[in-house]
Amino acid sequence: MKQKGSKIFVYSCIAPALLLFAVFMIYPTISVFRMSLYEWGGLSARRTFVGLKNFKVLLDDRFFLRSFQNTVLIITLVTIITLSIAIIFAYILIRERIKGENFFRVVFYIPNILSIAVIAAVFSAIYAPDQGLINGLGRLLNPDTWVNIQFLGNPRLVVYSVIGAMVWQAIGYYMVMYMASMGSIPTHLYEAAQIEGANRVRQFVDITLPLIWETVRTTLVFFIISSINISFLLVNVLTGGGPNGASEVFLSYLYRQAYNNASYGYGMAIGVVVFLFSFALAGLVSLVTKRDVVQY
Amino acid sequence: MLRKSLSICLLGLLLFAVIGSAVQAQTLKIAGLDGGWGREHWDELARRFEAANPGVTVELTLAQNIADILRPQIIARNYPDIIYLAVGSAGGLTDTLIKEQAILDITDVLDMEVPGEGVKVRDKIVPGFTDTLITNPYGDGKTYLAPLFYSPCGLFYNADLFGPGKYQLPETWDEFFELGNQAQQDGIALFTYPTTGYFDAFFYALLTQLGGPELFNRAMNYDVAAWESPEATRAFEIIGEIAKYTHPNTVAQANVANFTKNQQLILDNQALFIPNGTWLPNEMKDAPRADGFEWGFMALPKQSKDGDSYSYTFFEQMYIPKGARQVDLAKKFIAFMYTDEAAQVIYEKAGAVQPILGASELMADDDPNKLFYTIYDDGAKASMGAFAAAPPVAGVDLASILFGTIDSVVNGDVTVEQWQKDVVNAVAKIRAAIDAQ
Repeated sequence: MKQKGSKIFVYSCIAPALLLFAVFMIYPTISVFRMSLYEWGGLSARRTFVGLKNFKVLLDDRFFLRSFQNTVLIITLVTIITLSIAIIFAYILIRERIKGENFFRVVFYIPNILSIAVIAAVFSAIYAPDQGLINGLGRLLNPDTWVNIQFLGNPRLVVYSVIGAMVWQAIGYYMVMYMASMGSIPTHLYEAAQIEGANRVRQFVDITLPLIWETVRTTLVFFIISSINISFLLVNVLTGGGPNGASEVFLSYLYRQAYNNASYGYGMAIGVVVFLFSFALAGLVSLVTKRDVVQY
Repeated sequence: MLRKSLSICLLGLLLFAVIGSAVQAQTLKIAGLDGGWGREHWDELARRFEAANPGVTVELTLAQNIADILRPQIIARNYPDIIYLAVGSAGGLTDTLIKEQAILDITDVLDMEVPGEGVKVRDKIVPGFTDTLITNPYGDGKTYLAPLFYSPCGLFYNADLFGPGKYQLPETWDEFFELGNQAQQDGIALFTYPTTGYFDAFFYALLTQLGGPELFNRAMNYDVAAWESPEATRAFEIIGEIAKYTHPNTVAQANVANFTKNQQLILDNQALFIPNGTWLPNEMKDAPRADGFEWGFMALPKQSKDGDSYSYTFFEQMYIPKGARQVDLAKKFIAFMYTDEAAQVIYEKAGAVQPILGASELMADDDPNKLFYTIYDDGAKASMGAFAAAPPVAGVDLASILFGTIDSVVNGDVTVEQWQKDVVNAVAKIRAAIDAQ
């Protein structure tokens, strides 16, 4: 009897959260799948069931394929660059005890608390052709021969320009996470290694990396999710998907199709692909990076 | 017995309350864009409409991102009575409502009397405005969207650079490109554009100029042959030629965050011409400029000296969504928008001009705006309209294929032939979707 009572108590405690989760997460997710099977503008009651037609169209849609390519490129590069820099910076700040450690910690973290609109404005100024920071610097060093680099105008450069802004924005956040993880590694391990004659690189590879591996794995999933989301926000404000769609990513293309092109069902089909893709990628990354957990 | 009489009493009271409230309080909900014209005129119009219609309250919701605000409300079947948002606005709300046939037919408003003026709305609106594919999107002779605030579009330039001993204003496309070569030697680019979206007015006027209104209408009705015609090909080629004379920074700045930097190129004498509408001088009024700068405005150059010149007329719209509660009141408000009184308020508070007969008389002679609105008096013909309503085709966003590609043409990544081919393919797909209906 007593056990039954406590069960009821447990369930009634979970119920509100579960209800909210169901209403705001599970139901919408299922709705996305359902609506992807319809031809619908998104506003009226006029909708027709078309089965998998939206997905068939998707396979032939070269604009979608381009946004797919861009997203994959962004996820890969942003993850590799941010991860490497963030770990190295975290290691330096934790292990080297350099002056002004807290100052750097704050400076690196600031971009993360800025809104995307501010970041877009900052990078518009950095990338601008005539008055831009980079082109201005180039002209200063090379006044006669400098030709403006069109960071946001050249379709071959624009995705990398977006990646640059994303890396700058993300480093601080991940660095703080790695620092927290590294901070809990007992120093006697490093002292022992030092006595054994291991240099700093050796220490990093054989002590630090294995002991923060679980944190790295977790952040890899964060990278996938946040790259998909933040690239959309940034692209929308910084480039609008341009020039001519060259910087279009998953979600910006979804948005344009669902709203500007009145193809809500088609947009939801893109949403389904994004959902499955990010789920599969996160699973794959998690599987590939699985190691025996090293403990101290 | 007591119970019965009590319930009758209660019922009577209830009925009285219902009828009373219906007679007494009517709320007209208007939602719209808080754009370049501001919102002062709307507040004033609402106040005056309330004064003229006792018992009516006007509830205004104006926002820059009105499409994002209205979308969830419309899905929840909570409709405003009037929406003021032009076709082609960001967010595609109006375009979607048209495609979904979710806008009310307001042809009967045209036969209503303009309040207090003894003239029908139809006869007060400048001829042509209610015959376009924008106001009558289904081409069935019925009007669904009411035209508001018109503005001629064309090419803006620094008038100080032109005149005796300076550059000569080009009359034909040949002269235009000749001027481009001349300016190039002075280190000035011939052309720039804010974003490719501004090519709609440009392209429509160009197409009308080359093929006449008849070809333009066929093109807007997704006639594949019209898009493949020699006249259309020539229009694509002219823009391809212009691409070569476009300021090199243009594409990098042709986005929402940076388009004013392209407009700044004109103020700084770095580029000669920019396609735009009459709101431009107001938009750039606080920007620094070259000494002696003065806005100039002209229609597109012509094909030949004796050819026709066209200027596209941009205008905004208001409409009643299906599901609106106060339909009669909403129609009354739309009729009110065409009174002299309303036009006066709109011009004084916002500087916008209503498409009604006599509206240009509101402008003082020393008003710099007057120059822009006299473009049609100077021989340019008006071109109006946009693509007809068509069922949405997944993956085919015609506007971004037709206009967005211009960035790539300027960059040299897409040839003019390929661009035209892509447009023709997209038009064919939409045509097929229409025929399948």
